[in-house]
Amino acid sequence: MTSSRTSAADPAAAIRVEGLTKRYGRRTAVDDLSFTVRPGTVTGFFGPNGAGKTTALKAVVGLARPTAGVAFVRGTPVTALRPDARLLGVHIEPCGAHPGRTGRAHLRSLAALAGLPRRRVSEVLGLVGLEDAAARRVGKYSMGMRQRLGLAAALLGDPEILVLDEPVNGLDPQGIRWLRTLLRERAAQGGTVLLSSHMLGEAARTVDDVVVIDRGRLVHQGAMADLERTGESLEDVFFARTGAAGSGGTGGAGR
Amino acid sequence: MRGLLRGELIKAVTTRAVLGFAVGGAAFAVLNALVIAVASGTLDKVPEKEEALSGLPVLLLLWGLVGAAGEYRHRTAAPAALVARRGRGSVLSARIAAYALTGLALGVLTSAVSVGLALPLLGDQPGPALTAGDVGAVVAGNLVAFVLSAVLGAALGALIRSPVLGVVVMLVVNFAVVPLLSGAWEAGANLTPFGAAGVLSRMTHDTTLSVVAAGWVLAAWTAAVALAAVVVERRRDLA
Repeated sequence: MTSSRTSAADPAAAIRVEGLTKRYGRRTAVDDLSFTVRPGTVTGFFGPNGAGKTTALKAVVGLARPTAGVAFVRGTPVTALRPDARLLGVHIEPCGAHPGRTGRAHLRSLAALAGLPRRRVSEVLGLVGLEDAAARRVGKYSMGMRQRLGLAAALLGDPEILVLDEPVNGLDPQGIRWLRTLLRERAAQGGTVLLSSHMLGEAARTVDDVVVIDRGRLVHQGAMADLERTGESLEDVFFARTGAAGSGGTGGAGR
Repeated sequence: MRGLLRGELIKAVTTRAVLGFAVGGAAFAVLNALVIAVASGTLDKVPEKEEALSGLPVLLLLWGLVGAAGEYRHRTAAPAALVARRGRGSVLSARIAAYALTGLALGVLTSAVSVGLALPLLGDQPGPALTAGDVGAVVAGNLVAFVLSAVLGAALGALIRSPVLGVVVMLVVNFAVVPLLSGAWEAGANLTPFGAAGVLSRMTHDTTLSVVAAGWVLAAWTAAVALAAVVVERRRDLA
């Protein structure tokens, strides 16, 4: 494992993961994973299919209970944290909307659950470009539209921290550019983003820090700027650390 | 907690399922009134006439079950838990309460159809007519059965998490296991949730369990299953 940043004990970290392990029966999806996400940055979370990214993100946001280890959000163990859409906005695929419900109704229910004003629904629908489709049932949405709806749900509380699992999947080029701009603007304003992606070229244009895992274990953490200084690309690091170069390898552990 | 309830109510009433269950409940009420009051021959006793006003509590059980289990099938439980500002147990409690309220609304609709259609039809039958008190007691029993069944269904749905599996299990139990048990041991069958709901809604009469006792039996089952669902919800992973 390589790491150019030893901030695992940094109390100012937006997200800190320490020794996170998640097992499903005899299968280990995440294995003693530790990394830190600095506030005011976009951190990319990368790994081959089945590396344990989604499982780790679910543990970070409190949806999955770790077998061992702890995830901290702003210094508080996530298991002790009261869910709050203003603190943590999450989009983990699929978008979590009933196909028989309209996009607006989906967001209205979440706004009510979160104690947010109803006007936020229209605001985020506008933000993600779904105003015209808001009255249509989610089952009629394209993949990109469902992705935008998931992002709208994550943005509903205008959260300090965004955790996004493969947010560019299904987005068209305009959508990818829009998302990149949105995430960079949020980081510039002090917000924090942790995102997973398989689109390394696009992610390299968006992220400040890089976390790479393989078979549930951390294999690299560092800054994009450090990579650029050494002349390595994100893709170089990804393939070198995961051993997936040219093999289409998928890693052994489940997601 | 009001926000949680409002959010869960929005979810419960913004799919077409609520319309389907409303139509299904009303259709059953019409069919039941016609079959009992017209096609069952002479009804000269009050309990026989009351049966024409009975609803189908298992329909409300399915309403709660399909809705709550669908939260896991469609992965809508996770976004709710992530934004709710309360623990998962509170979110599930609000969801169950939402199904209780919508179950009450569906029950009122079904009872209105039953009473509106069956009472005129029963006017041709011999024997004592149903008094306003009789009708009120039947409607009250049906509404209690509907609400408790919706709550029981939502709690079971949260435990089972698969709408299809849940529906199959419930239909087999209601239409095969309980009738078989009832034939062999009527008192035991009445102590099942389905048996108690049948007594409470007057589908079953002249049996070993009083209506009030049936209400307590169904309430006990409902409370136990709802408690189990909340405890389990707080401990497990959400997809």
